[in-house]
Amino acid sequence: MKRFAHLNARTLDEAVLYLRRYGGRAKIIAGGTDVLGRMKDEIVPTYPEALINIKTIPGLDFIEEREGSLKIGALTKLEDIARHPVIKAKFSALAEAARRTASPHIREMGTIAGNICQDIRCWYYRAPNNRFPCLRKGGGRCYAIEGDNRYHSIFGASVDGGCLAVHPSDIAPALIALDAKIRTSERKIKAEHFFEVGVCKTNVLEEDEIVTEIEISQPPVGSKSAFIKFAARETIDFPVVNCAATIVGSEGTVQAARICLNAVYLKPYRVTSAEQAIIGKTISDNSVEDAGIEAVRQAKPLARNTYMVQIARTLVKRAVLACG
Amino acid sequence: MRKLINVTINGVEYELGVKPNLTLLDLLRYEVGLTGTKKGCETGECGACTVILDGKPVTSCLVLAVQANGKKILTIEGLEKDGNLHPIQQAFVDKGAIQCGFCTSGMILSAKHLLEQNPSPSEAEIRKSISGNLCRCTGYQKIVQAIISVPGRTEK
Ligand SMILES: Cc1cc2nc3c(=O)[nH]c(=O)nc-3n(C[C@@H](O)[C@@H](O)[C@H](O)COP(=O)(O)OP(=O)(O)OC[C@H]3O[C@@H](n4cnc5c(N)ncnc54)[C@H](O)[C@@H]3O)c2cc1C
Ligand code: SF4
Ligand code: FES
Ligand code: FES
Repeated sequence: MKRFAHLNARTLDEAVLYLRRYGGRAKIIAGGTDVLGRMKDEIVPTYPEALINIKTIPGLDFIEEREGSLKIGALTKLEDIARHPVIKAKFSALAEAARRTASPHIREMGTIAGNICQDIRCWYYRAPNNRFPCLRKGGGRCYAIEGDNRYHSIFGASVDGGCLAVHPSDIAPALIALDAKIRTSERKIKAEHFFEVGVCKTNVLEEDEIVTEIEISQPPVGSKSAFIKFAARETIDFPVVNCAATIVGSEGTVQAARICLNAVYLKPYRVTSAEQAIIGKTISDNSVEDAGIEAVRQAKPLARNTYMVQIARTLVKRAVLACG
Repeated sequence: MRKLINVTINGVEYELGVKPNLTLLDLLRYEVGLTGTKKGCETGECGACTVILDGKPVTSCLVLAVQANGKKILTIEGLEKDGNLHPIQQAFVDKGAIQCGFCTSGMILSAKHLLEQNPSPSEAEIRKSISGNLCRCTGYQKIVQAIISVPGRTEK
């Protein structure tokens, strides 16, 4: 790795101050599992001058039920989330998403905030030494359009109409299906509105803004949530496609639904048309079939990823069935 | 600029001056000379660099040495006692769970963490605990059998 300064922040204010002082030339480090890989490979032309360590800030690592909500501190490790009895029982989609992320070691290091703030994994973008200076780095073209796009977007492109990279997080769709809110040093944002695509950017955070807490309201009576991941391997593998769903039912009829796919588009992809297809119905093989078809109706697969459409459709079906 | 850190490695206290861009893996191998911790992918994917940091298995290639300040580190070299192999090490030898040996330190440390948390793991739990460690030689079967055979592991 190239040289950089390392600063231990003792308070949130101090971390924000450091970020302001470096004005975009510093990066937060939490678990480090994403940011260090990015720096080792020197994937982008600009190298951070400093890493601001937030693990030295006390009080950001907790799981609590308070004021009718579940609160999870930004620094909470994925392994602690996967094992937590309350999250397993009441917020199953999140527990399962955490359990299926990466490997045991990465889950002991990786934090929930780091997961939703992680950078994309497009293999052109991630190639060492900025080998492919693509649109997403402020460059002139996308290499995936004509290249190997087997793990790219099936719902179209963005960033000057070009980038086809998908958002790689397993946690993000679970938070959207559970209608979580993300608290930062500045404000509270609905998980659904947190993700945004730009040059070297995957979320709406300002340069000096830090995620502090994730908040999820108690699930309504009669609701269930589930998360399903399809990956090439059982472990140490990013999703090819994943899907999280929350279904609120009453006397066997679906009252409300939130279904979110990820790894299929530039940001997590909530499929409202699939939700509409299932509301008012009972969960059955037929009704989930319709939800699956609706979910991928707008799909525009690329040369090498038509197979992902079938997987997305199937995961929507299975995620809803798992809530039945 | 170097930063001074205090770490306890295998029960021995060290005071070391480290550069911010040094990983814990490189600290162990090149500054302390503990080469039992292996350097494979350097990106968190293979588990060869596994060490136990404050009781948790981590990939030391993704830990900055400066961030190990004040922490306890256990590496493979810390397992033997008075010249005798740790029971898990012995089990790996006895069951032929080592071929090239590159994954072995990581496998044994992941297994040690599991057996401390859960003295009677099922085979599925064993496989899960080593799911962050890749082996290119053994096909995993003998590694799993070795962990199953560790004395003191109670049947479920
Ligand atoms: C081998 C391997 C396999 C993986 N597999 C998966 C997988 O299957 N599924 C998956 O979802 N992920 C996977 N990952 C990505 C993994 O890095 C994340 O899951 C992890 O949770 C990131 O958390 P972290 O704390 O280590 O983040 P860091 O690397 O510390 O940070 C990641 C980014 O978020 C920013 N950041 C961190 N915390 C905050 C905060 N509080 N506020 C604002 N910004 C912040 C950092 O500046 C950085 O840009 C994998 C990673 C590796 C190395
Ligand atoms: S898909 Fe996006 S990140 Fe990948 S090469 Fe194209 S522009 Fe770059
Ligand atoms: S060298 Fe660290 S995981 Fe491969
Ligand atoms: S024994 Fe060679 S990699 Fe496992």
